[in-house]
Amino acid sequence: MGDVSVKVTVNAVGLSCPLPVVRTKKAMDTIQSGEVLELLATDKGSLADVKAWTKNGGHELIGSEEADGVFKFYIKKA
Amino acid sequence: MTNAEQIREFTTQELKHALDTAQDLYIIDLRNRDEFANGQIEGRQPIPTINVPYFEVLETGETDDIAQIFADYAAKEWQSILPASAQILVVCAKGGTSALAAEGLQRLGYNALSLAGGTQAWGNFYDRKVVAQQGDLTIYQVMRPARGDLSYVLVSGGEAVVVDPNRHLEPYTDLLTAQKLRVAAVLDTHGHADHISGGRALADLTGSEYHLHPYDAIHPLDVLPATIAYEPLREGQTIRFGTSRLDVLHIPGHTLGNLAFLVDGTYLLSGDSIFIQSIARPDLGGRGDTWAPLHYRSLSRLVALPDQVVVLPGHFSVPAEANAEGTYAAELGRLKAENEGLQVVAKGEQAFVEYILASLPTFPPQYVEIKRVNAGLVTPDEEKASELELGRNICALSQAYGH
Repeated sequence: MGDVSVKVTVNAVGLSCPLPVVRTKKAMDTIQSGEVLELLATDKGSLADVKAWTKNGGHELIGSEEADGVFKFYIKKA
Repeated sequence: MTNAEQIREFTTQELKHALDTAQDLYIIDLRNRDEFANGQIEGRQPIPTINVPYFEVLETGETDDIAQIFADYAAKEWQSILPASAQILVVCAKGGTSALAAEGLQRLGYNALSLAGGTQAWGNFYDRKVVAQQGDLTIYQVMRPARGDLSYVLVSGGEAVVVDPNRHLEPYTDLLTAQKLRVAAVLDTHGHADHISGGRALADLTGSEYHLHPYDAIHPLDVLPATIAYEPLREGQTIRFGTSRLDVLHIPGHTLGNLAFLVDGTYLLSGDSIFIQSIARPDLGGRGDTWAPLHYRSLSRLVALPDQVVVLPGHFSVPAEANAEGTYAAELGRLKAENEGLQVVAKGEQAFVEYILASLPTFPPQYVEIKRVNAGLVTPDEEKASELELGRNICALSQAYGH
């Protein structure tokens, strides 16, 4: 996702439910519509929840990748 | 913040007991809707359950005190539905979020507890009951309630045969060790698609042999041979343990190497053929149309056994199939009268094949991969294994359950 301009990064590495969602929600409140949030997380279980949360809020998951067990999600604010 | 770790949790053992005794329970399931749909906690009686994903609740609050967000949400949204007297059980995937939610509900005065380890721990919970006793023979039914998996430890004269063990070995080794049993054999009725077999590993651990029908040592879709070592079982073979005997019946249909075991001429370990309310599906090897007639002939052979034979199946689909003792067992004569699939067997091959092909439930995509695991073609880590095994098995036809 090198061509995406990330406005804020949430580091939820090592955190388990519900913290990845809690931190993402808080950071999302700090950015403007159309800006992109980057989430770094290791708790695989939370990721399905982040996806559902993103969809519920009308935001857009514009990309995801995994390297060395760290998942990166890129979410564009509605 | 919170002190959730100091609050007593509801254990999986307590949950099983509550479900068995129809205790007054009310479940709040905080998982996302897909996970909830894939397998909710069920008892022999219906349990009032609501599913509200935790992230939808968190959306409603602005405080850092997560338990308080749940308390505020519950006061507003759940006050009219939550019973004041019942035990409220809050569940999530791993038990972290539910502990915070239970704490919030306690602040409102509810009798709420979190399920320790969440649905993941429940999925890996096993229970064991004596299902039959005759002479020297004792049969233990080892149940995995969340998955509907049934496995067996047959004991006679200090020797044991273990049938269809799941991948967690303690439920079996605990019993084998406590009773100082020598393991005569570990058997799989077939190459399982819905759960990871513990057969090979248990045989290694107990210094015994692992047995399987050779047809099921070939992955049906990959058409690749298993890499695990096994002793081949064949039709008509007898395994003796203590003063008891186990006779092998080859009943192709659910798989090509599908087996049933008749123990002391009385107990039919039917594996995936005859269940209590339904029968096994013939399509998990990808050949439902050509395997359904085989399945018909095999089931016809089984129903010709004496009515007094007690069927001990490899799965249940709903806990309501249990008898008053909480075990899954029924005389063949009763099943011939009540089991929907067996009633169709009585109508002949053509009617049966039409019925079965019209009754196939969804084919869970992970079942192909689980068969690879059981053939030793891939080796998952614990997280992957747990993910593959999520939810209740779908090995039975769907009609009996109204899906």
